[in-house]
Amino acid sequence: MRLSKYVKFREEKFGGVLFETRSEKVFTLNSVATAVVREINTGCDEREIVVRLKERFSAGDDIIERDALAFIADLRQKALVQD
Amino acid sequence: MTEHPAAAASQPLTAADSSVSTESSDLGAPLYVAWQVTNECNLACLHCIEESGPGKAFRDELNEEQIFNVLGQIMDHEIPYLSFSGGEPMVHPLFFKMVEYVCSRDGQLKIETNGHYLTPENCERMKKAGVKSVQVSLDGATSATFNRMRVRGNFDRATDGVRNLRAAGVPIEVNYSPTCFNVHEIGTAIDLAYELGAYSFYTGRTMYTGNAVKAWHKLQLTDEQYNTFFETLHRKTEEYRGRMRVHFHEMGLLEELRYRLHHPAALLIVLPNGLVKLINALPFVCGDLRRQSLSEIWANFQRAWQDPRVAQFIDDLSTDPGKTKTLHQWVYV
Repeated sequence: MRLSKYVKFREEKFGGVLFETRSEKVFTLNSVATAVVREINTGCDEREIVVRLKERFSAGDDIIERDALAFIADLRQKALVQD
Repeated sequence: MTEHPAAAASQPLTAADSSVSTESSDLGAPLYVAWQVTNECNLACLHCIEESGPGKAFRDELNEEQIFNVLGQIMDHEIPYLSFSGGEPMVHPLFFKMVEYVCSRDGQLKIETNGHYLTPENCERMKKAGVKSVQVSLDGATSATFNRMRVRGNFDRATDGVRNLRAAGVPIEVNYSPTCFNVHEIGTAIDLAYELGAYSFYTGRTMYTGNAVKAWHKLQLTDEQYNTFFETLHRKTEEYRGRMRVHFHEMGLLEELRYRLHHPAALLIVLPNGLVKLINALPFVCGDLRRQSLSEIWANFQRAWQDPRVAQFIDDLSTDPGKTKTLHQWVYV
């Protein structure tokens, strides 16, 4: 999985931004979403992303997994990532 | 994740929900730099906000060293989106060198052109470089309207240029400015853009700025014409949904500026001489890339929007629309 061709990512103090340059839409990300996109950029798959987030964030494992997978599904639905 | 439609280019960064509330002031750098690389142009369009034309290059346009210094800063700041416009950007002697530099650093670059230099060879070169898209101005669906608007322009040359883009596989966008003499063609212009292979079509109200101030009597639309125009746009948006995006803003200039005053877009407008404007339709300059870094100018950008002269100018426009004649008499804030 990786960011789609026309999607740019930049980290910010509040988290990050994804910019889909074909539609000129900007998506703002909180710190957890930013962490997910950072892992996508390293080439991780969904399973690896969940494992890494569980190591990093203190929320319950089920919550982290549910939120991360839901966010990735949202990225896919918006065509911001591609496999 | 909060979505901001067209936030960088023409809409504000406003949060639609509470997950992350952002304005452009929250960002460490702009999201979009719109760079007018030269004021020189092969055409002299009736409505040109920059009053570009043959022989209209600024005497102090950035030199090669300055240009690549600025481009380097843009890339170093990870500014995700950059456009080259003009004047006509393709007449700049360093045009392809600039394009190839930005693309080599993975920049997402849009070229805004009148389409007259889109030869097969140039289109291939842009494809090879990897430009994000080329936006061509097609203000009409026929030679009669296009050539009237685009003084010295040639409709067939521009549309052939778009066909060359398509043949080369370069993503195409089309821009259209309405006037009283071309507005009846808006529907067919959208159809033409789609037939030519565009994935986006942009339009909105033609602004009373630049050359348009002098030529307003030849351009001005009635409210009734605008009503029909926007009705057609709404209909065409639906007709082309999923095939080509039809983007348009119904806001007038004054309404837009009032909004921007409180919600500046994360956008810097760079003039050919390196001065940086708050927004195209105001005379205010918030920095000079010949003397200041991009970071310094971005830091000043938000403060400059709060300068009382900016709000006063916008207020004055409501009673004196002719103040837009002073857009090119820059005011440093």
